[in-house]
Amino acid sequence: MIKKVNGFEILVHWTMAVSFFILVISGFGFMFKLEQIGSAFGGFAQMRDIHNWAGVVFAAALFLTTFHYLPVALKFTSDDVAWLRKGGGYLSKKAHVPPQDEINAGQKLLYFAVLFSGIAISVTGVIIWLRPNMDDLNKGVLLSFLIHNISFIVYLIVSPIHIYMATLANPGTLRIMLSGSVPLEWARKRHAKWVQKMGY
Amino acid sequence: MGRMSILVSPELCIGCRGCQTACKEWNQLEGEKTENRGTTENPPDLSTRTYNKIRYVELPSEKNPVRLLFVSQRCMHCGDAGCMKICPAPGALFKTDEGAVAFDRDKCIGCRLCVTSCPFNVPRYDEKNKISKCHLCADRISQGLTPACTKTCPTGALRYGDRDELLGLAKKAGYTKVYGASDLEGLGAMYAFMDPPNIYGMKENPAIPESVVFWDNVLKPLAYLGLGGAVAASLLHYVAFGPKKYEDGEEAKKDEQ
Repeated sequence: MIKKVNGFEILVHWTMAVSFFILVISGFGFMFKLEQIGSAFGGFAQMRDIHNWAGVVFAAALFLTTFHYLPVALKFTSDDVAWLRKGGGYLSKKAHVPPQDEINAGQKLLYFAVLFSGIAISVTGVIIWLRPNMDDLNKGVLLSFLIHNISFIVYLIVSPIHIYMATLANPGTLRIMLSGSVPLEWARKRHAKWVQKMGY
Repeated sequence: MGRMSILVSPELCIGCRGCQTACKEWNQLEGEKTENRGTTENPPDLSTRTYNKIRYVELPSEKNPVRLLFVSQRCMHCGDAGCMKICPAPGALFKTDEGAVAFDRDKCIGCRLCVTSCPFNVPRYDEKNKISKCHLCADRISQGLTPACTKTCPTGALRYGDRDELLGLAKKAGYTKVYGASDLEGLGAMYAFMDPPNIYGMKENPAIPESVVFWDNVLKPLAYLGLGGAVAASLLHYVAFGPKKYEDGEEAKKDEQ
């Protein structure tokens, strides 16, 4: 077994995941005025508070991910380009893809999607929440509302794919989120460059 | 019941502001301390304690050096209401049988999005962060009474009744174009203007902000489509390609151990 992530990273990811589900479910409740969801959160006023504070937790967790994942994701090499060109090997029954670093090109792109829409949704969320009571700022709130909702949709598209990739599509990946360690053989196939760097 | 409405005829208004007083009396709204701004138009704006007011517009011209317009301002009770469209709390803003856009303070969550989405800048928030605005005296009209403002109006500048009848009435009086006849699926407060609406301080073509319409028509369906599409695509991929296998193909077994 080889250690892929440490306990802190696991905690941060679970924090993000839990707050994410709270945010998405309450977000749907607000978007479509769903009474049942409102009741489940103890009323819409309470759901608003929970949504806002879960957003703060999510944004904080997202910020913490930047220390680890941002430098890794920024290292985009020719192998990453080649990997993407082959569709990550997902479009054939057998994968023949260039060796990948700690996270593969697809994961890097996913991270940027999560990071950028995360920043957008957090900043605009704060503006909608603490909206200054001034008429000339109405347009800013409306623009924030628009960006907040567009980012929401980005998350709605990206997250199921992320969850699918980490479970059904790649059996064994979920271990990274549970124990943080993966079998050496497993890692060698998926993250050859990283395994080599780690000295195995 | 047919849709009810108010017909405002500024040319009949004498600026007595009895409507403002009657509104405050019925809705038990406190008076406001204001400053002398050199006009008897008072209070200066709609507020949590002022659901309606008369706007004074001075229009001196050579023909008529003392032309003074009195325009009753209030919630317009839009047929397609921007406030209701964006409001995330069910029941906080609602339509009555008569077509009034009324509110329920207990259900308002204080997000203030209705303020940004109103084409007429009507909703106001009080100290408790709850919406307040004209509700067409929903409690009166549901009992067959008329709104307090129209009840007290001595000249017929404010009239309440069946919307179609009022429209006919205005047409009969010679107003070919009635403001609010068809804007936003018809307003619940219509105006018989003699001059273009902007003279009276009204928007020419009132509309819900485009971003809110876009959100309602495109982004909301896209939320379901995006989520459903991503889940469906994942499942489809699983059926078509299955879990990722690397060259030796033995890996899946090893992973199980």
